[in-house]
Amino acid sequence: MSWVLRRVDDRLIHGQVVVAWGNHLHPRRMWVVDDAAASSAWERDLLSSVGPPDVEVRVLTIAEATAGYAEEEKAGGAAFLLVRDLKAALALHDAGLALHTLNLGGIHYSAGRTRINEYIYMDDADRERARRLIAAGVILEVQDVPATRPMPLAAPETRATFPLRSNSDS
Amino acid sequence: MAGVPALLVTHADLGAALLRAAVRVYGPADDVNVVSNEGLSRDQLEKEIEDQVSLWEHGGLILADFWGGSCHLCGIAAARGHGEVIVVTGLNLPLLLDYLHNRGALGPRELAERLQQKGRDSIRLHHDLNA
Repeated sequence: MSWVLRRVDDRLIHGQVVVAWGNHLHPRRMWVVDDAAASSAWERDLLSSVGPPDVEVRVLTIAEATAGYAEEEKAGGAAFLLVRDLKAALALHDAGLALHTLNLGGIHYSAGRTRINEYIYMDDADRERARRLIAAGVILEVQDVPATRPMPLAAPETRATFPLRSNSDS
Repeated sequence: MAGVPALLVTHADLGAALLRAAVRVYGPADDVNVVSNEGLSRDQLEKEIEDQVSLWEHGGLILADFWGGSCHLCGIAAARGHGEVIVVTGLNLPLLLDYLHNRGALGPRELAERLQQKGRDSIRLHHDLNA
């Protein structure tokens, strides 16, 4: 069973992931794949301590995740893969991991990024990464919580500031 | 002298609404501020919280809405290196009222432990008197 959610979210573990997706998909493991977090003992301890009591949180570098990904795919029980940004997602893809569908759950505004919807903003580098993933056959779906409709991100939408319909419009 | 300062860190408008409700019940609440995580990345929320707790000279309380959420996580990260700043999760109105009543008498640690108990004790079942 294993991977049931592969998500890009700059908050990594947080309420939507733990409460909404967690209660929906019942993961046994959450992989936080983030070189910065994995290189800090303090960050690793923090992220490992805040998951639900019955969920094991693993904080891994991209290299560690790459090495263990295929084995996890065969493991019993469901697992989440969480990365901070499209850069990390593309690094995993470039390392040969089959990402299939990538949930875009939170890429928040920062200087240079323009709006896709209320919780996804991208700059030119993000758009290029999204284009590469889409071209390689990875489905990018914009969706914050399970109760909202997933909105596929199509290649043209990564080229300009094309606004997806927000949840409130649908 | 208000005592131990507090920062309410919540989703959406919960913190502001809780504070308005507490002021209605208890009266003015100086030294209590509110941060919402709305639209913020983890780094941005952490900075917003740290901007406030760095002003506290003798520690204080971060009252976050629930365990495992970004308000909790960023509260822990922002509190790092700022002395006796304690994160309490599960913020509710009885807990907030008890904080206002006791913040002048206790230090951050004792107050946080008291609020943990108070928040738990406040959830009760009222048996059906008409049964």
